[in-house]
Amino acid sequence: MSHAPAEVAIEYELADVPARNDFATPRRRGVVLVAPAVLVAVLFSIIPLAYLFQVSLTRESSFFFTAEYTLDNYREVFSRYPSAIVETVYLAGAASILDLVFGYPFAYILIRKIRYREFVRTMMTFPLFGPLYLAFGLFYILLPNGVLGPPLASLGINTAQYLFSTGAVLFSMAIFTFPFMVMNIGAALANVDPMLEEAAKTLGARPWQTFTRILFPLSWSGIVAGFLMCFGWNLGVFAQPQLLGSPKEQSVLAIQMFTKGLVQFNYGLAAALGVLLMVMAFAVTWVSLRFSRGALGA
Amino acid sequence: MATLAAPAETASGRNPGFSLKWLGNVLAHGYVWVWLAIFALPFLATLAYSLRTPDGVWTISAYQYVFGSFKENLLLSLETTILTIIINLVIAVPAAYAIVRHPLPGKSFMLSALNLSLYTPAAVMGLSLVIAYAFLFRIPQTMTGLIAAYVVGTFPLMLVPVIVALRDLPMVFEEAARTLGATRMQTFWRVEIPLLGPGISAGILLTFVIIFNEILVTPFIAGPSTTTAALRVYNLTRTAGFQPSTAALATTMQLVSFVVVLIFFRFFGSRYLKGTYLI
Repeated sequence: MSHAPAEVAIEYELADVPARNDFATPRRRGVVLVAPAVLVAVLFSIIPLAYLFQVSLTRESSFFFTAEYTLDNYREVFSRYPSAIVETVYLAGAASILDLVFGYPFAYILIRKIRYREFVRTMMTFPLFGPLYLAFGLFYILLPNGVLGPPLASLGINTAQYLFSTGAVLFSMAIFTFPFMVMNIGAALANVDPMLEEAAKTLGARPWQTFTRILFPLSWSGIVAGFLMCFGWNLGVFAQPQLLGSPKEQSVLAIQMFTKGLVQFNYGLAAALGVLLMVMAFAVTWVSLRFSRGALGA
Repeated sequence: MATLAAPAETASGRNPGFSLKWLGNVLAHGYVWVWLAIFALPFLATLAYSLRTPDGVWTISAYQYVFGSFKENLLLSLETTILTIIINLVIAVPAAYAIVRHPLPGKSFMLSALNLSLYTPAAVMGLSLVIAYAFLFRIPQTMTGLIAAYVVGTFPLMLVPVIVALRDLPMVFEEAARTLGATRMQTFWRVEIPLLGPGISAGILLTFVIIFNEILVTPFIAGPSTTTAALRVYNLTRTAGFQPSTAALATTMQLVSFVVVLIFFRFFGSRYLKGTYLI
């Protein structure tokens, strides 16, 4: 369940409090306390994912009868699904770029100019209630006989043309991950001393120069971390293309995986698609963890 | 909501009348407000749609279904959410305590393993669990399976705020209580748990918001007897099209979630959500 790789900056070193004398066996006590959590993780994430990998190496649903081991599933993924891979990466990338372009000014204003931050943060939880409601609401907005349809139509805007379009899918994806971008960039900007901007201004830098020479380099880690986090989340996009997209958007990997596995019972191929998606997400997370160290002052 | 300062407030600078700085401030605040409107817009549209019949008559009749045929879905959602929160608390608080206060072998590797489910795309998690449930654990489409999936997906979100809160908590309180003769259990329940309150409630908030509305793993592993309210919304939009009654259910779900968020922010602010994904 890719619920945001954000807890990143936990400083493990701090946790290494030296053992105290009155703890007879502090290590054993610690192991007992952490055991239930480890057990749950092993049973319900490590074993199923290992199992998924094993299934991905077998033909169709043969694994459950007499397993035939083969690499055909991966060959099929790379011969039949390159366009699905491209579509997935394209949608995730475009949505993340939208988030960056609109999220950077938002984060800057939020950190530098706004005193009612708690209110903004409260409102920013709306997208986090889930992509389903977002897609659902957008559908109503775009519906020709919906609430906003007739007034917009009288302005000459035909909202129905955006239903089942790339634009609608991208917009709903971008809104969903917008808070993650704002959070990452905001955390980086909060560590930039406003005096630096003042100094640049005093020394005659134009706003654009202040941005490219001061703000951008200093918030770079936040930008990368935010971009990759949005990208990682959107790689597994499922509900938005399903409700708002055309067949082209519906070719994304998560939907293909669902169809192959739960509709056509081709478990081998579905598992291979899943492994591919997982590897892509892990790669993105790994890079973002490298960059976000220190950016999120958790 | 008391902090809700209108953008117009920024206009009352020392330099009355039109100036570039004033314009810049208005634009800056306006920009943020436009985005806040965009965040709320899908919800408001859903709300408006739920209050209207296809003929354009305004009525609240669609909400009878929320407490009628959707009632058991809502109750199931609440039940799974509450059970998940309880199990998360039981396994994550001791684990966070052990990770912060005890020397453990391979601590950072262990944390990565615990957080594995966070980094995996939800759909992949769903597929791996549906296969494992059907052929390995033999618990397909059960409540047990659903809650196990929710727990493994969200207990790291409970773990992190508690770790953050524990790290901020000086050892002196614990040591003082122990010096004064409290047992280890007394210290834990009477001293540390109350002091960790905000961190723990941040974990509860995150779990609630995510599990109550969970729709990424649920379609894979839920069955006819375990249809949560969010899944019902999804299924209805796929089969029955976009109905006002579905909109009423979606509105109710979002309203409940938002009220929970408001209550949390009212009591604790957003400080303890640092390090988690909610800013």
